This record gives sequence, structure tokens and C-alpha cells, in this order.
Amino acid sequence: MNRNFRAEFSASADSVLCTRRRTQSIRYYSEWITITGILVVVSFFFCAGNVAAQNNHRIEMYAKKLLPEYEYLAYGILRHEVTDKNGLTTDITSRYSAAPIIPGPTIVMDEGDVAEITLYSEVPIPDNAAHVDLHENVSLHVHGVHYDIVSDGTLKYINLFQDEGAKLVQSYTYRWNAAYGTAGTWAYHDHNMHTHNGAEDKGLYGTLIVNPASRTVPINQGGNIVNVPLSSIAKDYILYVIDDAFVGTEIDNQTGQQTPIWVNPALFAQAGTNVRFHLIAMGTNFHQFKLPGYSWPDPVTRTIIEEKAIGPLEKHVFAITTGANSSYMDTSFEGRAQNMVGSFNVNP
Amino acid sequence: MKFNISGLNFKTMMALVMFSVIWFANAAMAATHDIHLSANTLPNGQYAFKMEKHTSSDGATPLYPAEATIPGPTVFVKKGDVLKVSLTNNIQVAGDKQLKVGLTPGSTEVASGDTRTYTYTADNVGTFAYGDEASHLLGLFGALIVDNADDTVQDFIDEIGNRIATKRSDVDKEFVMFMVGSTFWGSETVNGVQKPLWTNPTLGAVQDDIVRFHILSVGPGHTWHLHAHRWPDNNNSDAIIDVKLLKDTLDSHSFTIKAGAGVGTGHWQYHCHLVSHMEAGMAGKFHVVAKGESGNSLAGASPSGKIFLNPTADEPGLVTFEISDEPGQWFRSVRSDILSPITKTRSLEIIPPGSSVHFIMSDTNAVHTITSLLWPSDANEPSLGDHRAIPFTQTKAYKGGGILQLDVPGLYVFTCKIHPYMFGAVIVDDPATEGLDLGETIDIVTGINGLPTSSDLATRLLRTFFVATTQENWQDVTSSKPWHPEYPSVDVRITGGAVANLKTVLESRYGQDIKLASLFNPATPGVGEVWINTQFEKTAGKTKPGTITVLDASTWKIKRKIALPQINMNHPHNMWSNKDQSIIFQTQWFDNKLTFINREDGKLINNIQIGNTPSHVVTLPTNDDLTVAINGENGVRIIPAGTMTPEPMIMTQFPGQTSAAPHGHWVTPDGKLIVTPNVNTSDIGIYDVTTRSIVARTTSGGIFPEAPHPLAVGLGVDKIYTTNLLDHSINVSDFEGKMLKTINLIADYDPVSPTGPDTAKDRDGDGLVTLGVLPIQTPVDPTGRVVVTANTGGTITIIDTKLDKVVAMLPCDPGCHGANFGAKLGGGYYAYVTSKFSNQLIVVDVDLDNPANSSIAGRISLVANNSVPSDDKVTKLAGTGGQGIYAIPNVYNGWVQNLPDSWKANLTAAQLNPVP
Repeated sequence: MNRNFRAEFSASADSVLCTRRRTQSIRYYSEWITITGILVVVSFFFCAGNVAAQNNHRIEMYAKKLLPEYEYLAYGILRHEVTDKNGLTTDITSRYSAAPIIPGPTIVMDEGDVAEITLYSEVPIPDNAAHVDLHENVSLHVHGVHYDIVSDGTLKYINLFQDEGAKLVQSYTYRWNAAYGTAGTWAYHDHNMHTHNGAEDKGLYGTLIVNPASRTVPINQGGNIVNVPLSSIAKDYILYVIDDAFVGTEIDNQTGQQTPIWVNPALFAQAGTNVRFHLIAMGTNFHQFKLPGYSWPDPVTRTIIEEKAIGPLEKHVFAITTGANSSYMDTSFEGRAQNMVGSFNVNP
Repeated sequence: MKFNISGLNFKTMMALVMFSVIWFANAAMAATHDIHLSANTLPNGQYAFKMEKHTSSDGATPLYPAEATIPGPTVFVKKGDVLKVSLTNNIQVAGDKQLKVGLTPGSTEVASGDTRTYTYTADNVGTFAYGDEASHLLGLFGALIVDNADDTVQDFIDEIGNRIATKRSDVDKEFVMFMVGSTFWGSETVNGVQKPLWTNPTLGAVQDDIVRFHILSVGPGHTWHLHAHRWPDNNNSDAIIDVKLLKDTLDSHSFTIKAGAGVGTGHWQYHCHLVSHMEAGMAGKFHVVAKGESGNSLAGASPSGKIFLNPTADEPGLVTFEISDEPGQWFRSVRSDILSPITKTRSLEIIPPGSSVHFIMSDTNAVHTITSLLWPSDANEPSLGDHRAIPFTQTKAYKGGGILQLDVPGLYVFTCKIHPYMFGAVIVDDPATEGLDLGETIDIVTGINGLPTSSDLATRLLRTFFVATTQENWQDVTSSKPWHPEYPSVDVRITGGAVANLKTVLESRYGQDIKLASLFNPATPGVGEVWINTQFEKTAGKTKPGTITVLDASTWKIKRKIALPQINMNHPHNMWSNKDQSIIFQTQWFDNKLTFINREDGKLINNIQIGNTPSHVVTLPTNDDLTVAINGENGVRIIPAGTMTPEPMIMTQFPGQTSAAPHGHWVTPDGKLIVTPNVNTSDIGIYDVTTRSIVARTTSGGIFPEAPHPLAVGLGVDKIYTTNLLDHSINVSDFEGKMLKTINLIADYDPVSPTGPDTAKDRDGDGLVTLGVLPIQTPVDPTGRVVVTANTGGTITIIDTKLDKVVAMLPCDPGCHGANFGAKLGGGYYAYVTSKFSNQLIVVDVDLDNPANSSIAGRISLVANNSVPSDDKVTKLAGTGGQGIYAIPNVYNGWVQNLPDSWKANLTAAQLNPVP
């Protein structure tokens, strides 16, 4: 991340974030700010009416090429501050990787929280003028939680309102409401790059975890489904199942630190601890997930299962108590053909 | 032609008796429904059910549409109800064919004009598809919804997270959305009135309406996603979801929402979340309006709408191409019986601006893309979106279909990136102008923009289209008649508003009643056998096309035909053998199989699933392991020698990158490197066999800006030759991936001017006029001296590798495709060349001392007489569809050294050591 770029945008966003403003019918506001020659539009919603909110998250993100020479695109975090209901603000930016990563940063909220996320685009416009598209636009379309139509993260020809994404010279701000009833793990992804298909297949996807108000997680204990405290989960593994690989992030729940673990990662855990897998499929293929030797509660059927079919943008979240070493894998024909497998290593 | 209602049991009288005994209490309350459905043909050729009559003993039945609709009428019943269903089949098909439609498995098909009655009991609650098993992808499907006797339906979640138990009487509207191919087919039921919403409709609702969705799928699976709404997976589930997998073949998912709960009004997108299906247009809108507004739905393009021959309809129309494995008819209009007498092809449709074209992969075992090859220049709007973007394409091959609205008059041609001779065309004709609109100029996927429709290239492509898509237009070398391709005699409007008769233009430019060259055998015998994939030859014992024709090179007589009806072998495309020359490995390019065949007796050894659309197979000369290019995917699969169990692929790209879709690969003589032409990513890939890693990927092409479409490679001693189908070029590169040279095969060609004496002339000043239009297979002879390239435009070009330039051009047939070398008796080599749209093998005598002197040594018919041993009876397209070719013994450097002594005996010392 270019430090100057970051500093400029942080400054601009600080000055306008959470400005309280209410209009009768249009909950939308924009203004133009010129900073060192860069024209920025920051749009935001009124921050009033959040009295029920547990926590208020203010997040700045960006999308850029992961590596200059490859087609991959990735999201990164510039800033994440959380203000609790007592008005105490904590900056948790350091939990995230400083670089853009795939999958993108995992944003963790509690049921009842709200978030305001400003997205900047650093995705370069193609050198070849013939490839410059009308929609050099990148967005955050989030699953599961509540948001108004202006935070849908889609193009105007879909929402019939406006292109809801960031451009090189213009940021875009989304407001997510993790209202009661939206607990779970959800994907966010681009929906706007070039067409309404977006660039989710190029790496622009990440995860939102909305922790349930109950703060419990079901787990298989001796064949029974038992709810254990969320605080007992030592590690979370985010595993996107893309068409040809698993791509992961690991979260250490002691520190909240997020570490990209990339492609078909080897997973490590301490024996006898609880760890949680968040699987989200992305792409076109269907998958059959297995972790031989382990079984876990299936929220869909309320039964204990040892494998799970999952299709693009479905999620499957489960916790286990670690025992023996194993490997996680996709046992579908395509999964086997592409060797979609990684080791699960349990340290005694 | 079987009918399924999953979840319902077809009850015999005995079963009905048992049912009433066990569930007497319920049965006493159950209603009896008398339902009369008919199966009909819609104006665009698709099929649809219509409700003729529905009465129920409990009184209320919906008001059904007066017309046949896709999806068919939604039948709502309650658990325990008895359904007496009569089905009348009103579908007539052309000729002596008959489409039998049925409502149950087994022998209960209904012939055209007949009616049959079935009785079911609704003993499972749920949402079920009914339909005709064989033709459901063309529209014969509908939903049967069996609700609880107490009217309980799916819970919804309100804006504050409460889960609300719901009765059907609480529901304001119900949508049925079938996910089929890559299209939604919708209908709604509001206040007992059912309305068809056709394709990708805008579903309307008022804020806080209780809306029940029934999502069903037939055919390949999907994931359903609705923006900004969430719902319980089912009433006995903890899972709150906003995406749901619908499995392959047949599946359903019903849920209830409160429209706009917690999110408000707006146009919320619904779509399939498979990237390929999104790219193919599988999306629509759920429009939530404020209270007080109407909340009406808007229907999408309709099979009964405005199209050619149905011009008076009001609503936007829809034409449908079935993607098929039937040779030529790869994009087959479902009303081609009516159209083809006019269009002289089954692959051309005509619509007015604003109507849509729809594709359904309903008759193919392969994965495909549906990709714009050319389109009117003023339609070039990649950003238009929402199934209106031109050019239309998908990132990788998939199973499904596609839908696209076409607004700008002119000619649109679609192809498949994986199988680039599949063509479908749509003329969008403005009814106000004279002649069918081909448009002023066209853009081509290779980046050629503004090409006049009067140009030679435009009409040459049109001619190629009419030849490639029409079996009757293919050459038969055994016929005494001259070749007479049929073109439509229609007026077309071209550059400058000129109106011309298309048939007259094509015949005057490219001739008619062309005399075919005579057959003759080469004077000098070859060594061993020549195995030829006569990929389109049809036989009696199977539905899919393709045989292997085995030629005895010592006599030039056909030794055997192998059709493998027991596995319905589908488009055999390319072969190789083990080093003993005892087993032939055969790819099935429109399927996912690799087949093992005993070379001596032509018998099947095994048929294994290898991956989608396998194209070429080559062994490693070092250890005899197989390498199979998985053309529909993203790698080269390895099968260890002596086994039939594939290992994981060597991936042709890094994880998450665009699938390379490798096609005609080759292996270095030392067995260390695999070289692949990466069709989908336009590069030449070099892969290390030992480390299974990428050595280099070099951008291919160079004549035109885009989409060169590298298809095949040949390996010289120290150089790689790669043909670029759409770039009409050959790249010469080294084994580290460094580009050395690009040979322009159309340097002597003027594509832009109208056809004339100067269309082809010596423009590059080498003293020769050579044309290599659409080059395909391009092997280098075993010594590395000569490259022979089969150009589908109907020529063979010869490259001298000392000069890396074309030194000779020889005539070939339409669809000239396959080329490979075999040993000539007494020394030297023959290049064997096949053509898709003819039925002869051309034998080229390659002059290694002076490649420019290479000549045609023979023309051999691939049509077998009755005395030739065969495992099936040839019925159609005899000997046609020549593609992959493989000579036994394998005399390439690296392989020839490993031959058994018996095969070495017939080779000269020079042939046994081709690169001293």
C-alpha cells in the first residue's frame, strides 16, 4: 500500500465519517472533495438511529491487483475502528494483513452491530484503450445482512439507481446492518467490475462473520450436538472453495490476528482445542467437502455429518474439537482431479 | 419420454387401498383432483404444458393461463390428495419422427394425438417438478406443490430477526422459478390467478408482502441467490441462508420472505451464483415497491413473442438453439424443421430487434462456451450488461445454456471456444428495411473491427457457416456428382444499404457444382496402419456420432471400422498408442471419457471418466505414461503406464487463474516437457513433467489484436510450432518460451475488399501465393525438417523449418483438420491429412530434401464397404468428419526408438534414428 495514498484517503474520510445527517426521504448524501488533485466522492448514510447497535464499525478498504504481473485482484483493509455502545473506540486495524489478500479481510461483527465501509479502488485501468470498460468499477456486495438499495454494491443497470462502486478517483461507502436474525458467516464480493458478474472470480471476495447474540457454537460431543461458548473457539479457518483450490485465512482468536494462508494451506491446531471452519464456495463448480475422522453438526439438518455438498456462495460453518491429524479435501470428481486437498495437523 | 414426479408415487389400485387403510383419517379429508394437461409446441419450437381443465372435490382451483406456458401450470394440492391426471400430447414433429411424452416411468408414453390418464396420491409434502424426462429441457416441466394439510408453509424471518410461522393464506404471492440451462423460467400465482412470466422476469412485490418462492431445477445444477433477503433453509433447520444449491438433474427449494424486510424497496437482483451461468445471462430482478404502488411483475422474452414467422405478437420474442452433439447441428434451432427449407441450415435464426436468443445445452455430453465470433459493429457494447452485452462470452466451459437480448440489426455468429467449429447465427432484422439485415460492418472476436459485410472475409465466413452447419453440404468423394452446397436464396442488406441475393453472391464468389478431385492410392506403400477419427460418421447402434477408421498402409484398404456402440462412443477426436503399439488410447471430445482399445482386434478394453472434453492424448516416450489434455478444463491429466487410473492433473495455470483449456499438446522426445496450446488464455504453455510446474507461458498469435485461439502444437528439434486458428498464423518459439517468429498464413490475402482476382495474390513478395485460413493441426516431421499444417479453409501449407516460412500450398477439403506423420516404406514419411466436411484421407509425400517439392501422393476414401469388419452399421455421413489421425508404428523421434523389434523391422536405419 502506498503510504501517501493511504494517508490522504484516511484524512479525507476522517473528516466526513459519521457526520450525522438526516433527510426526509433520501438517506443518501454525497459531496466532492478535492485532495491533491484527486477527486473523491465519499457517500455515507446518517449515523443516527443506531441506538440499538451493539458496536459501530468504521472500515476503510481498498481493492487492487495482488501482484503487478498477474490478473488476481484482492481486497485490503486501511482502517477498522470499533466504537462500542459506551462510546469507547478501539482501532483494530493491526489485526489485518497490511497487504491485500485472498480471501479478503474477514470482518467480524456481533449481531446488532452496524458498519460503514468506504471502499477505494486502486485497480489500474488497462493500458490498452480498447480494453477500458465503461464499468471500471469495484464494489462490495455483501450477503446475509441488511442494507438499503444504495449499499447493494451493484451496477445501475441492476439496481436502476446508480453504479454502487469505487473508481480510481471516486470512493464508495456502504452501510451494513448486522441486524438480529443475520448471525452467520457471509461472503462479500465485487459485483461491478466491467459487468454485473464482477471480479469475484479474480480474487475479490472476503468474509463477514456475524457472531450470534447467543455467543455459542454447536459442536459434536460424543455424538451429541452441544452448544459451547464462542470464546472456546481457539482458531477460525476461513476456507474459500474456488473451482480449483482451497484458499484460506486463519484467525487466532486469542489475538484476533488474521493471517493469509493462501492455497490448499496446511492447517495447524493444538490437540483438544475447538477450531471452527468457515467454508464458502466461489466460482462455478460444486464440491464435496470431507475431513476424514471428524464429524460435526450440520445447521441445515440438525444432524451430525461427516461430509457436505457445497455450491458457489453457499456457506457451511462447523466447529470441531481437535483430535487426530487429518486432511481436508474436496472429493468431487473435479476436486480429486485437481488435487484439492490440504493437511490438518494437530499438535499434541 | 418418461415422466417423473419425484416424491409422488404412481399408485396401483392395490396401493391406493393400502393408503386409504393406513391414512384413513387423512384420506377422508383429502381432495380428489381431476387434471387435464396437454403438451404443445410453442411458436419458437419449444414445448410447453397447458392446463386444459382442473377441478377439485374441495372446490377452489386457480385460474390458469389460457395458453401453453413454460413453466407449465403450477398445481397446488395438499398432502393426501388424489390426482387423476390426463395428458394429451399435441406435439407433432416433422417427418416420420414422433415425440412421445409421458407422465410416468416405463411404458406409459403418450404418442402424438393420444391421451392417457394417470393416478397419483400426494403422499409427500414438498415442491416437485413434473415433466417429460426426455424433452424437459425444451420446456416440458412444471411444478407440483404439495402443502401440509393444515396449510403450514415455510417460516420467514422478519426485520427484527423473528422467525414467523406462516400459513399459505398469509402469503400474498407465490413465484415459481425454474432454473434450466442458464435461464430462469418463471410464473406467479396471485389471488388464485396464474400468469406466465417467461424468461428472467422482473418479479414484483409490495414492501412487506409475504412472498413464497418455489425454486426448481432440471438438468445441470445451480445456486439460487436473492439479494438482500434471507430465509430459513427449512422449518426444521437452524440455517439462515441467502444462497441454495440445487443439485444436478432434479431439485427444488421453497422458502418464504417478507419483501424488503429490513432492507426496503429497490430492484434487488436474483441470479444463479455460478460464475459461468451469471456470465451466460442467468439473472433477473425482484422489484420491491413502496406500499401503495402496484408491485406488478414484468414478464421476460417469450417463446410466443415476436420472432421471424411470428411477427404479429406483441411481447419480445425468444428463439432457442439446442446445443447438440449431432454433427453440423451443434447450434440447432428448435424450430429448424420449419426454418431450414428457407435458411438451408438448422443453425440460423431470425428475430426483430429487442427479442432474445436462448441457448440450452440439452443434447450434448460436453462442456461448452457460447461465445460471440462476430457481431454488427454498432452492437459492440460489452458494458450493456444484464444479458445484453455484446460480445457475449463466458470465462470457461460449463454445462448450462445462455440468454441474450439483441437490439441492433445485423448478423451475429456464435461459436464455442472449446469446439470452434460449432456455429449458430442470428440475423436481427429490422422489418422496416428491405432484405434481411446483415449490417453495414461487422466486428470479429480477433479485434478486426468495421469489416464491411460486402468483404471477401465476411462472405467467406458466411459460406463456411453454411458448409459447416449443414450435413447435406458436406463433400462425398464417393459420389459421382459435383459438390453442390446449398445456400439460402434470400435477399440480404449489406454495406451501403445494398440488397443482394445471398445465394447468388456466394455462388458467384465461390463457385458451384465443383468437381471433386479423383481418388487414387499412393504409389509407394506406407508402413503399418493409419488410424483415423471419422468423428461424424453415424452408426445404427448409438445416438452419438463417430467411428475410428483403420487403414492398412501397405494396401491402402480399410481394415476396420470401430464405433463402440456399447459405450455410445461420442466424437472420437484424437489417439495415441502405448509403446508396444498394442493399445490405442482414444479421447471423446464431446464427452468426458478416455477409451482404451485393443489395436489388433479393435475391441473395447475400458472406458474411463477422465475430465470434461478431453482433446488429445500423447505418451511420455520415456516411461509410456499417458498425458491427456483436458480441453474443457484446466490441465493435463496423467495416467501411469500400464494403469487406467488417472492421477491428478498437471495444472496449466496457477490456482484461481482463468482456465487455459489446453487442446492439441505434444511432449518433447526426452519426456521432460509438455507443450500445450492454451485455447482459452491465448498462450503456449510449457510444463515440467517431473516437477509438475509451469516453465513458461508465452502469449501466442500476433497478426490480429485479440483471441488468436492457439489449437495445436508440433515440436521440431529445437522449436515449437503453434497454430492460431483465428489469427491465421503459426508461432515459432523455443523450449524456454521465447518467441522467435510469427508466420502469417494469410499474408497474401486481402480480407476487406469484395471478392475479386486480387483477393489472393503474392503480397509478401516471396514469389508464391499461399493461403492458410484457420490453421489447425501442425505436426513437424520426425526429422524436424518440415511442418505440415491442415488449414480448415481447405488448404495444406508446408513450412521449411530451415527458413520458417511457407514454401508450398496444397489443396485440401472443407474443414481440413488433422495431420500426422507415418513411415513410408523404404524411407521417408507421409503426412496423413483429414478433413471434417469430407470423407477422404489426403496423403502428402513430404520431400525432406526440398520441402517445397512436397506433393499429394494419394486420396483415399474413408467409406467402408460391407466387407470391412465393423462393430456397428454405418447409417449416415459415411467416412465423414476426419479429425485426429495416428499412424502405427509411431515413428516420431523419442518414440520410434522404443518400438518393439517387430515394428522396427519395417523401418529404415534413418527412420529408426530420425534426429542423428
